[in-house]
Amino acid sequence: MDILLSGGEQLERGLAPEPVMAPAAGSLLLHGGLAALLLAYGFLGGLFHHSQWGSVAGGGAIQVKLVSSVLPLPSDQPPNENVLATDTPSQAPAEPAAKEKQAVDTSAIEIAGKQVKPKQQTVARVPQSQVTPQQNNKAQYGEQAGSSIARATQAPTPVTIGHTAIGDADFGSRFGWYVSNMNQAIGSNWYHQEVNSATPKGSRVYLVFTIHRDGTASDMKFAQGSGSPTLDRSCLRALQRVDSFGALPAAYLPSSLNVSYYCEY
Amino acid sequence: MKAYSRISLLTAFALISFLVPQLNAQDWVRTGTNLGNDRIRIAAADVKPVGDDPQTPALKTAFDFTLYGDLASAGIFDLVSKSLAPQAAPGSPQEIILPQWSAAPCNAAMVAFGALSVAKGRLVVYGWLDDARNSENPQVLGKQYNEEASLDMARTIAHRFADEIILRLGGGINGIAETKIYFVSSRSGTKEIWEMDYDGQNQHAVTHLGTISMSPRISPDNTRIAFASLGIDGWAIRMYSLEIGRLVSFPAGVAGGLNQSPAWSADGKKIAFSSSRSGGSEIWAADANGTNLRQLTNFAGPDSSPTWNPRTNAQLAWVSGRTGLPQIYTMDEDGASVQRLTDGGYAISPSWSPSGLFLTFSWNRKYGPGAPGGQDIYVMDISSKRWLQLTHDAGSNDFPSWAPDTRHIVFERTIGKRTDLWSMLSDGTEQHQLTQTGNNFMPNWSWK
Repeated sequence: MDILLSGGEQLERGLAPEPVMAPAAGSLLLHGGLAALLLAYGFLGGLFHHSQWGSVAGGGAIQVKLVSSVLPLPSDQPPNENVLATDTPSQAPAEPAAKEKQAVDTSAIEIAGKQVKPKQQTVARVPQSQVTPQQNNKAQYGEQAGSSIARATQAPTPVTIGHTAIGDADFGSRFGWYVSNMNQAIGSNWYHQEVNSATPKGSRVYLVFTIHRDGTASDMKFAQGSGSPTLDRSCLRALQRVDSFGALPAAYLPSSLNVSYYCEY
Repeated sequence: MKAYSRISLLTAFALISFLVPQLNAQDWVRTGTNLGNDRIRIAAADVKPVGDDPQTPALKTAFDFTLYGDLASAGIFDLVSKSLAPQAAPGSPQEIILPQWSAAPCNAAMVAFGALSVAKGRLVVYGWLDDARNSENPQVLGKQYNEEASLDMARTIAHRFADEIILRLGGGINGIAETKIYFVSSRSGTKEIWEMDYDGQNQHAVTHLGTISMSPRISPDNTRIAFASLGIDGWAIRMYSLEIGRLVSFPAGVAGGLNQSPAWSADGKKIAFSSSRSGGSEIWAADANGTNLRQLTNFAGPDSSPTWNPRTNAQLAWVSGRTGLPQIYTMDEDGASVQRLTDGGYAISPSWSPSGLFLTFSWNRKYGPGAPGGQDIYVMDISSKRWLQLTHDAGSNDFPSWAPDTRHIVFERTIGKRTDLWSMLSDGTEQHQLTQTGNNFMPNWSWK
C-alpha cells in the first residue's frame, strides 16, 4: 500500500501541471472582455446614433446629397474680413536682381598640365523681340486652389421601402425663414441712436455667437471690430436684448447653430 | 498578469473613445443687418372650404377675415392685398403653386394657406406656411386645429394660427392675437370693467357692481382682475376672479383712505397700489392674497400710479408730485435709489415695457394755460432717458398700456366729449380705434 501510495504520489508529482493556468486565464479574460466591449459598443452605438439618422423608419436606406460635410472644401470658419487677406492680390516687391557672374580669380596659380575647358559661349537663342513670359509676381493671399472634386455627388437612389431622403444643404437654404427671423429679432433691438454719428457710413462690426436648441444665444464675441466702439457696443447690446430667437427648427438635428452676424451702420 | 491587464486597459480605452457618439457638425449661418429692417412680405390665401356643410361659408369668412387682420396688425409684415393673390385657393402643400405667389404682382416671400371643413359639429382647419422662394424646403409651419364649429372658435383658431406664424417669423416673440384688453366703460350707465379681444371684437362686461370702477389690472395668469372701486368704505382695491365670476377678498386694499391704481408684478405674487391711509397718498405693496402689507414711499407730495418692472419685479416706476407738477420716477422695491425720469411738464400713467427697457406714459411737456402741445403718449428709454413722442395733434391721450409683445400699445384718447380706446404700434404708427360706442377708459393689455 505504502509503495502504491508513494507511487501515486510520485505519479501526481510527475503529472503536476506546468504553470500555464494563469496566463491562459488572463488571455481568456482579455478576449472575453474584448468581445463584451465590442458587443457593448454595437449596442450603445446603436442607441446613440438613433437621433442622428432619424432611424424611425426601420430598415430604410438614406439618400444624402453631400454638399459640404465630407469633401475637403475650405475649412468651415467664418470668413476672415481682415484686409490683409484680400481677394485682390497686391503687388509684391520686384524680383531680386540676377546674381552677378562669379568673378574669375585671376590671382590663382594655374595648375600645370591641367587642360582648362574653354567655356562654351551660350548664345541667347531667344531673339530680343520675343515677348518675355509674364512674371507672376503677385502675392496670392486669400486665394485657394479650386477643388477638382465635384461639389455635389448624388448617390444612386436606393430602391428600398421607406427610405428617408435627407438633403444635406446648409442651414440658410433649408431654413431661410429662421435666418430672417433672427435678422428681425436683432434688427429691431438695434438702436442706431447709440452709435456715434461720426462713425463712417458702411462700417461693419462682426459678431460670432451660438444659438441653442431653445433659441437662446450664448458665447457672443466680436469677430472683427468696426473701429467705432459705439457701433461695436450697440450691436452687442442688440444681441443681448434678444431673450430667445425661438426654438431651432425641429428638422435641424444638431444641438446648436453658429452664427456670424454683422451690424452695418 | 500585469502586462495583460495593462493591455486590456488600453484596449478598453481605445474602444470607449469610439463609443463616445460623434458630435453633430454644427452649421454656420452668416448674416447681418444694416439701417432699416425690411418687413416680410406675406400673403394670406383664403382657406379652401371642404365639404358642403351649411355652416362652412360663414366660418370660412370669419377665419379669413381674422387671419388677415391679425397678420396686418402684427407690425412685422407687409401683407399682400387679397386682390393681388392668385385666383385658385390652395388647400394643401401639394396644391399650391409657389411660383405663382412669388412672382409679380403678388411678390410674396411667405404664403399662409389652408383648408377648412365642418363635419358633425366640429370645425377642422389645416393651416400651412410656406416660404415661396425656397422651392426645395418650402414648408415653415404645418398645423391642424379641431374645435367646436362656431364663429367664436373660427376666430380663435385664426388667432392661434396667426400667433404661430408671428412666433416663427417675428423674432421669437409670441404673437398677441389671443390676448385680451380690459377696460372701463360707461355704456351700461355705470362705470364697469369690460373685456374685449385685442382687435376690438367680442366686447362684453365683466363686472356688474352698479358703482364706479376704475383702473382694471389683469393678473399675469389671466385669472383675476384687480381694480379700484367706490364702495361703502370709500375707494378700495378689489379683486374679481374670472374663474368663479365674482369678487374675492383682498384685505390689504380696503383699509381707509383713497386706495387706487393697483399694479401686478410679472410673477403674479405682488400688488402695488397707492393709498392715503397714512395721510398723504403713498405707494404701498402687498402680496397677491392681500397680506404682508408694506409702505414703499414716504415723501412729501402725492405718490400714485405705480408699475412694476416686469423684467426684475424688483423695481417700480410711479408718479410723484413732490416738486409740484406730477413727474415719473423709478425706485427699487425697498424705496431706495430714486431717480427722476421726466424733466418737466405734466407726466402721468407710466406703463413698463415687457422687455424692461422702456416706459410709456402720458406727458404734457409744456403744461399751462396757452402752452403749445397737448397730452400725448411718449416712450422713454430708461437707461438713456431719451424719449420719443408717439401721438401728435390728436385729442388728449392718456393711460397707455404695453402689449406683451412690446410692439403694441393701447391707450385712451379723448376728442371733444368722446373718449375711446385706440391701439398703435410702439413707434406711433398704425393707430386704430378699438371702441365705437359709449365712453371707454383706462385700458390694460393682458399678459398673454
